[in-house]
Amino acid sequence: MKILVCMKQVPQKDAPLKLNETGTWIREDISYEVNEPDAYALEEALRQKEKHSGEVVVITAGPARAQQVLREALAKGADRAIHLEDNAFVGLDAYSTARAFAAAIKDETFDLIFTGLQSDDYGYAQTGVILAELMGWPHATIIMQIEKKDAGIRVKRELEAGYFQFVDMTLPAVLTIQSGINKLRYATLIGIKQAKNKPLRKVTLPEVQSAIGGNLQKIERLYVPQKTKKTEFLEGPAGEVAKKLVEKLRNEARVL
Amino acid sequence: MLIFRQPLQGVDRPQMPADVVIVGGGPAGMACALRLSQLIDEHNAKHPESQLSKENIYVLEKAREIGQHCLSGALLDPLSMRELLPGFEKEAPLDAEVSKEAVYFLAQQGKFKLPITPPPLRDHGNYVISLNRFVKWLGGKVEETGITVFTGFAGCELLFNGTHVTGVRTDDKGVDKQNQQKSNFEPGYDLQAKMVILAEGPRGSLTKQLITTFDLRRGRNPQTYGVGVKELWEVPAGRVAPGEVIYTMGWPLTTKEYGGAWIYGGKDNIVSLGFVIALDYPDPRLDPQRVLQEFKKHPLVTRLLEGGKLIRYGAKSLPYGGWWAMPPLAGNGWMIVGDSAGFLNSARLKGIHLAIKSGMLAAETAFEALLKDDFSAVTLGAFQSKVESSWIKEELWRVRNFHQGFEGGLLPGLFHAGLQQITGGRGLYARYRNKSGPEHMKKLSELPADGGAEAHLIGPAKGDGKLTFDKLTDLYHSGTKHEEDQPAHLVIQDTNVCNTRCVKEFGSPCQNFCPANVYEMVDDASQPSGKRISLNPSNCVHCKTCDIADPYQIITWVPPEGGGGPNYDGM
Amino acid sequence: MPDTILVVVEQREGKLNRVSWETLTAGQALAADTGWALEAAVVGSGVASLADEISGKKLAKVYALESSKLEPYTPDAFAVALKQFITSKQPSLVLMPHTYQVRDFVPKLATAIERTAISDCIGYRKDGDKLLFTRQMFQGKLAADVSFTCDAPWFVTFQNGAFRSDKLEAGTSAAPVETVNVDISEGVIRNKPQEVFKEAKQAVDLTQAEIIVAVGRGIKEQKNIEMAKQLAEALGGELAASRPICDSGWLPMDRQIGSSGQTVAPKLYLALGISGAIQHIVGMKGARTIVAVNKDSEAPIFEIADYAVVGNLFDVVPPLIEEVKKAKTGG
Repeated sequence: MKILVCMKQVPQKDAPLKLNETGTWIREDISYEVNEPDAYALEEALRQKEKHSGEVVVITAGPARAQQVLREALAKGADRAIHLEDNAFVGLDAYSTARAFAAAIKDETFDLIFTGLQSDDYGYAQTGVILAELMGWPHATIIMQIEKKDAGIRVKRELEAGYFQFVDMTLPAVLTIQSGINKLRYATLIGIKQAKNKPLRKVTLPEVQSAIGGNLQKIERLYVPQKTKKTEFLEGPAGEVAKKLVEKLRNEARVL
Repeated sequence: MLIFRQPLQGVDRPQMPADVVIVGGGPAGMACALRLSQLIDEHNAKHPESQLSKENIYVLEKAREIGQHCLSGALLDPLSMRELLPGFEKEAPLDAEVSKEAVYFLAQQGKFKLPITPPPLRDHGNYVISLNRFVKWLGGKVEETGITVFTGFAGCELLFNGTHVTGVRTDDKGVDKQNQQKSNFEPGYDLQAKMVILAEGPRGSLTKQLITTFDLRRGRNPQTYGVGVKELWEVPAGRVAPGEVIYTMGWPLTTKEYGGAWIYGGKDNIVSLGFVIALDYPDPRLDPQRVLQEFKKHPLVTRLLEGGKLIRYGAKSLPYGGWWAMPPLAGNGWMIVGDSAGFLNSARLKGIHLAIKSGMLAAETAFEALLKDDFSAVTLGAFQSKVESSWIKEELWRVRNFHQGFEGGLLPGLFHAGLQQITGGRGLYARYRNKSGPEHMKKLSELPADGGAEAHLIGPAKGDGKLTFDKLTDLYHSGTKHEEDQPAHLVIQDTNVCNTRCVKEFGSPCQNFCPANVYEMVDDASQPSGKRISLNPSNCVHCKTCDIADPYQIITWVPPEGGGGPNYDGM
Repeated sequence: MPDTILVVVEQREGKLNRVSWETLTAGQALAADTGWALEAAVVGSGVASLADEISGKKLAKVYALESSKLEPYTPDAFAVALKQFITSKQPSLVLMPHTYQVRDFVPKLATAIERTAISDCIGYRKDGDKLLFTRQMFQGKLAADVSFTCDAPWFVTFQNGAFRSDKLEAGTSAAPVETVNVDISEGVIRNKPQEVFKEAKQAVDLTQAEIIVAVGRGIKEQKNIEMAKQLAEALGGELAASRPICDSGWLPMDRQIGSSGQTVAPKLYLALGISGAIQHIVGMKGARTIVAVNKDSEAPIFEIADYAVVGNLFDVVPPLIEEVKKAKTGG
């Protein structure tokens, strides 16, 4: 099984975010880490490789710092890495990013492409599905489990409200992987050492520029959400307070 | 039931050979690695027929990223960096050159500026830096030269063979709270190393093992420590100039405590401020984080921070003992550098430049050992001689009795310091002695119930949420994070002491001296005292204060699973 | 052709997903602001009755996109069906709720016609003639106003709860309903979905809960959590806790809210005996309505609460359970 895992480097979860001068993006002098859902996608790919042999390739689009994500993936057991390296990749929307990926892998033959179900910074949950459409492949999202079958794979999709569904699919296919479906492995010292010698192909922006076109949407303004909160203190004996509260929740807040 | 971390028994550990393992990727460890790399490159250029390899030289760094656990004020004396990388000023991330200095003696509301800055505190020619950013940059250079830095891996045990250190064992990963293997368990590696260089920072855990195993304290003064509690603030423009340095003494401390504060102006309106207090104060109820919050209430500081925003918080211990407290620096298969050995000038409050120089000298020794293929105490002992014939010795010799002079309190201390200043460090006696910090801690029965003169430093800070903060809020800004499901890494030898004796004798000072709310006494009716020790290990910021200050010396800090700890971005 | 707003509602096995009403509310609001016509579409097999249900609301027209191949749902069939329909009708704006299903096909649909979707929006505003859609970024830490830089049709999906279904206006008369038979050729559908089934989840996903009752140290003892559980059940919500409760093992780790647990933004968050340390607050301050009960009038949790009760939770919660039960049974 030849699997491609699309990974993204995102700001660390507790990094203090500051707006840039134009107020259209954040200042980049913070710490970064791998997008958590992508770490689960990688783990799933590595498990599939362990079960069915094959190759795991990781790809990311981002500045030089994003290489760290690829290095960690190689240390965990991925075989090859592709880095679309350019600061400009940070500003691409999901559509353009997917087009860049498709261009970078046009000469490869993967059986499966995994992405995390969404990124912790944008939270669009689109790149994987767009990529499937561009490649002309079937896809399924929010996948919990993958089983190889003779004719392809059987995947378990998570639906809302505690529902699930199995789907039979042919290969090649794109899957977006749910977080937390397995325990992430640790990179070992040997793995880290070996990662240094694994192939890492760099792809520049000009190489894929013609495939990308322009963004179809634009962040006009990024800002700290303002909350105008007025706290209403409810007083009186407990029974009365309970009545008042339920009434407020029902009629004012309308959550009951 | 508290289950403490210990390396799992009966586990097959991968063995990995190494030429040199440097435990700790701070300024000392990185300088050592870089210098070693330079020497090897020079050698290989001149001797194509007998190349030395860097393949098996490793730096072990327990943080997830290089520099992430590095915290200091900081002011860098560029002396050693200029030796290591001439012209480094052009590319290193330096905030500003020191432009203005002032030393204040504070009273609760008033202040007195010293007309002359005492010589040790003169900082012209030094740089205000963020140690975290500096080490990140330096570490980057180490990696560029081809030396492997393993981040997220802690050195948790030294490997011995009789009188030799033969290597380092790394942390077991994927062990649950009950010390059982999880499904993603990875055993720690045994790095079989020809040489181990300990660069763990103050109160290093492997250093502690080494000192105990080989009785390295014999004939030395006990090492003493202070703890620095730091906050990084963003303030409105114009409050403090980049490169502006302020030191304070006096309030909120009394004459019974040793310590003071720093305020450094960085760039982009960032201010670094913090309070350092020696861990030999008498009242166990004293809370160093509270001391910092009280300090901020002084008008000098309030004016500076008003309208500003707290960005980061952290704490770290520092070794005050000076020359007489340093252990032997080398032995069979080992060397100790940086704060682990106590390379800090307590009068100048600077250690980074000494850490770097010690790392460089250790690298030169290591290089010679690699050439000779001999790693015995005889060869590595050259490190001690190099240190003694370098400016490290000159500098540390002058202040060899500085901190000990304060054993009797502030006023005697100032007297001795003045005297030492004009006698090349000798003072009244050739060698001043000292007790270890916790030996100074008084029992509650010997102290006034309300704290007396220290009343305003006792107990946890409440914080107003704008200028001052309670410990939990401050802690949030340390970014500390650990894998939750793992055994407690604060190993308490006998919790009965906590629950029965300490709670009565000292009132459980761990709750106070820990800057991170790791220790808590919770209600427990089954205990005769009604209280039981409880731990929040994932709050730990790796400062080592507990290991140092616990009056019974039953706490041993061991590294938690690698990758966990504070996030000292910008500190 | 006049500009239209098309709301594509969601149904499963013949029942409308009620979040669709919220999307229709969004459509009505946008229609009022832009002056564009509002239309709706139901996609599936045998969905005429659902289309009728929608036609009672204030909108111009309802379409039932029909094909036996649209049941069960597959992304291939839905994308093809809607592509056909949208290409012919050319609405300016296509609105959908941000459900798991919509996430599964909308990016594919948009890409197929070389357009884009701004997904998971919490609102919109007009900047002159331009429409800006607001969405949360960086897990709620920042908000972004996003615009389209391409031609219509523009796809937008709205977050659950961004609009209120009770604000949906009924129509003065039923809107016309038109059935559109969709042509889905052989071989288009590649996935073979099996029966949908329910499974007891191993771990609870608090991020999906609309109502959360959380307990903190104020609950004092493990056995008192039962009371909070009853309140959660009465409200139809989930039980959660602050860190110390999970650390003590009183509730499993997957119930923890905060910087070392889950970050949630439910409709209603009830904090019982929680002081509001910043480590906890960052995990729940995005909740739409926050109720806090705490003995300590200075507890920081009150700074972010909408409704505050300074009192003993053991006095307040039992009558609260009763009142909630009464309200739910239509009292």
